[in-house]
Amino acid sequence: MAAAGALFDQVLNGLTIGMVYVLLAAGLSIVFGVMDVINFAHGEFFALGAYFALSVAIATGPGGFWVALLVAPLLVAVVGAGVERFTVRPLYGRNPLYHILLTFGLVLVIKDVVELVWGPQPYQFAKPPVLRGTVEILGYGYSVYSYFVVGVGLLIAVGTWLALTRTKYGLIIRAGSMDRGMVRNLGIDVDRYYTLVFAFGALLAAVGGVVIAGRQSVSPGMGDSVIIPAFIIVVLGGLGSFRGAVVGGLAVGVVQTLVRSYVPVLEGLVVFLLMIVVLLVRPQGLFGNPEWAGADEGGDLLTVSGGGVFDSTLRRRAGAALVAAFAVVPLLVGLPSYYVNTLAVSIFVWALFALSLDLVMGYAGLVSLGHVLFYGVGAYATVLVVVNLVPSLWVALAVAIAVCTAVAWVVGHLSIRVSGVYFSMITLAFAELFHSAVYKFGWTGGSDGIFGGFDPTYGLVGGPAVRSIELVGDVELFYYVALAAAVGGYLLARRLIRAPFGSVLQAIRESEDRTAFVGYDVTAYKRRAFVVSGGLAGLAGGLSATLTGGVAPEFLAWILSGEVIVMTILGGMGTLYGPMLGAGVYLVVKDVLLSLTNAGSPLLVALGEFWQGALGLLFVAFVIFVPEGLVSLPETVASRIDRRSGGGETIAEDAEVSD
Amino acid sequence: MVDNDTEENRNHCRSRSGRRAFLAAAGAAGVTGLSGCLGSIGGGGGGNTVTYGLLNPMSGAYSSLGPNQRRGAELAVEHINDSDAFDTQVETVTGDTQTDSTAAVQEAERLVNRNGATYLFGAISSSVALALNEFAAEQEIVYNPGGAAVPITGEACNEFVFRTETNTAQIAEAVSAYTANNLGTRVWFHIADYAYGESVLNRVRSRMQDANGNVEVVGTSRSQLGASNYDSFISEIANSDAEVAVLGMTGGDLINFVSQADGQGLKDQVNIMSPTMTFQTVRGALGDAAVGTYGGVRYLPKLTTGDNQQFVEAYRSQHDEDPDNFARVGYESLRMTVRGVDAAGSAEPTDVVEQLPGMEMDTIFGPNRFRDCDHQATNPTWMGEVVEGNGNLPGVETLQKVEGTDALPPCSELGCDLG
Repeated sequence: MAAAGALFDQVLNGLTIGMVYVLLAAGLSIVFGVMDVINFAHGEFFALGAYFALSVAIATGPGGFWVALLVAPLLVAVVGAGVERFTVRPLYGRNPLYHILLTFGLVLVIKDVVELVWGPQPYQFAKPPVLRGTVEILGYGYSVYSYFVVGVGLLIAVGTWLALTRTKYGLIIRAGSMDRGMVRNLGIDVDRYYTLVFAFGALLAAVGGVVIAGRQSVSPGMGDSVIIPAFIIVVLGGLGSFRGAVVGGLAVGVVQTLVRSYVPVLEGLVVFLLMIVVLLVRPQGLFGNPEWAGADEGGDLLTVSGGGVFDSTLRRRAGAALVAAFAVVPLLVGLPSYYVNTLAVSIFVWALFALSLDLVMGYAGLVSLGHVLFYGVGAYATVLVVVNLVPSLWVALAVAIAVCTAVAWVVGHLSIRVSGVYFSMITLAFAELFHSAVYKFGWTGGSDGIFGGFDPTYGLVGGPAVRSIELVGDVELFYYVALAAAVGGYLLARRLIRAPFGSVLQAIRESEDRTAFVGYDVTAYKRRAFVVSGGLAGLAGGLSATLTGGVAPEFLAWILSGEVIVMTILGGMGTLYGPMLGAGVYLVVKDVLLSLTNAGSPLLVALGEFWQGALGLLFVAFVIFVPEGLVSLPETVASRIDRRSGGGETIAEDAEVSD
Repeated sequence: MVDNDTEENRNHCRSRSGRRAFLAAAGAAGVTGLSGCLGSIGGGGGGNTVTYGLLNPMSGAYSSLGPNQRRGAELAVEHINDSDAFDTQVETVTGDTQTDSTAAVQEAERLVNRNGATYLFGAISSSVALALNEFAAEQEIVYNPGGAAVPITGEACNEFVFRTETNTAQIAEAVSAYTANNLGTRVWFHIADYAYGESVLNRVRSRMQDANGNVEVVGTSRSQLGASNYDSFISEIANSDAEVAVLGMTGGDLINFVSQADGQGLKDQVNIMSPTMTFQTVRGALGDAAVGTYGGVRYLPKLTTGDNQQFVEAYRSQHDEDPDNFARVGYESLRMTVRGVDAAGSAEPTDVVEQLPGMEMDTIFGPNRFRDCDHQATNPTWMGEVVEGNGNLPGVETLQKVEGTDALPPCSELGCDLG
């Protein structure tokens, strides 16, 4: 009887958190289904709901909780409508990939604004007395607030379902999520509904934020902690399926809670395992309609034209000159050690990482959200080899590359059978599996990571320590190691892309079906690209660990996947040098913003403290105004000038891709 | 500002040419890049100036705690520079660890090589502090970590690291005996599944068993670091016959656990104790939900030890709120270290680290020192109960004090031997 009571407790616990997941995932799913927007900022709407509720409740005094429950979600809906109108709308018709960059920027901005307004400290939200303590029903006592959360969630879920199935708006929205083109052909202006849908999604998330505020602290990181589970639920249930979001949300809540108390070893892993298994069996999710994915309109993937202002000879010369400058200038000019040995090395590392991502994302059209997996595994492999086997940097990096290509082969084998957003999510799940796993073992150093005893050397079994060799002008030899790795990675990638292999990859990106009809084994080609990419990312991770002087679980944090995607899009996908340029610009801008806190002028110091928000604003502006990335900047400027002087056509629409 | 040529130049030469790296290089490949540097290293008489890098988590997971660390350190700089009791002048440069080891090391490089810092203070999470430990040894600069994990001045200790933060072993000493003898002998341990949680489990469990032979562990559970939903553990504890629940978790994890436990009425069934329960951010976030729980005390503004009241008053007049433990650590890290600079009569970190260990000085906790064998400050600790306060912030009543020398286990037990 006691065991049954305990089980009942756990199921109710699971339903409570599951309901919050439902509120989050329903909005996310509808927004994706109708608008094709991958909204990373959804978690921030959830956080904003909690923060607005906090302020409303304080302002209205007793009974404020109930006012907040109504008012806060409406306020967030207004914010959501504004976000859609001014930032998302300019991006319609483009590939959903650009929403990642946009909403990633929005996350940074909203988070910094929250810290600015409410401060970084956590708050507790006072629950009204009616909702405190426990209540006994049929001799069984349980928390009143949990019943309340389940009740509110149920009410809203049913209401949303009725709105979707019984109203004209619902009909159009459902039709839009199945086939937007058809709805448009019927003479309905679907775009007008977008603002409504986006605002409604934000409202649902905000309700979730308000009710969760009664159970956990309200802090700036609360959006981050729910966005990944929310995405998983959306994918589990099937993109665009409301029923899927409800079933997925409740299932994840209950399974998570039960596993936590009965199989604690799997805590943190089970949700990802569940998603991987479901996607392998049903690639379209539990309730997803495979035809919707087939009718994917995709939108234009704005890869960069090979022509444009500079021709290829000029570009080659510019590239060679740049590498030569990197090689020689530090030796001739006495640059401060930090810029050469730290900032430049970190740029080379991230350039290599971005290049590896571009190989699969820009060429094969595979958006890997789990690329940090290879970076992190490369870092851990390098450190573990040096600490436990041989101190040689070369051996360690070789092992890192080998391990990462092996991992990439396995992950690729399992993931590449699903496509689109499902691929993004399954790679993310693998990365999160590894991230959770390193906390669980002693040999990975757990949460402390491994910093002591990591002293790599240049020899095979000993020799000079890696960071000790300095050349003329304080330039470390390691600077050249990193430069060589970046240039070598680039040359290897260029060789691959220029070979028939590269042409097939680009053909796959343009049309997978046609490439398959011609007789190519599409999956095999994608997997090969994925393996090469994994190896390069592993090398980047190994170099990064060497630069840091050790490794910690942060090396596997999914946010790094986001950052490297941002760099790639920032620079310009579909060129090999664009993402590398993007990495450089990203890191230099970040460095400048961070160093402003020591600038002296109060205005600059304030900007330095707002560095994340400033970076975010930059992304938002960039994705709207320079959609093809940095490498297209000369063309964009040239065409603007042309247009102003009344001459010339706009740039070619169907641009060919080159390196 | 700090863009002073000789400072810059000297720091170039320091870069990565630390003693260990230097020996390795000299042994194998000969020395490169060192010529012309020796001349610029000079000792100084009285009135040295040191550049302190304040490297705190201003963004990322610990962004709610970093700013207080920095405020405390900045207050110390004002006091040191205005006071006749100090010969040394302090200049500061600031950085953001982003609660990430890679970012923290990069920022540290910038503060040292670009801004001329030869002293560093900051970081809270243990992986970041451990990364900076290595960095400090390599660069031969003094580092005051803000993290509380034992290995920072334990297995990973080195001669350049001096900690004024109270470590988890000292806190465990304060809470264990009292908990076993007064709160209950049937114990449930719930920890966040990472190094800190494990260390609480191991240390508090063994110290409780030492203190009272009747202590029995009725259950142990672990949640993922950063989890937000603790209902299942709370139900398990409520359904067991535990008398006291010991929570090995900090920050948001602890806040969420206690808040949800309060919602389920767990406080009525068992005593809840956590080594970090009395921390100001935890109490502030929990409000009434924390009242009636127990915890270790590292610092309280109301303490009358040493010159605490002067510190509290100065801090209040600047920030209109009480300092918390992180502010105390910021303040005291700089003050204790600069006392060492004064005593050494030199701004050179290598001179200061000779002088500082074991040096007796007056602090917020009264007479204190960095212990010779591991450079850990011998702070006293207290057992406390969270009680109703005025306004939203509950108060803390101290129940038992453990003196600094009793709270700190021997160096051999913690894994450090600096002699």
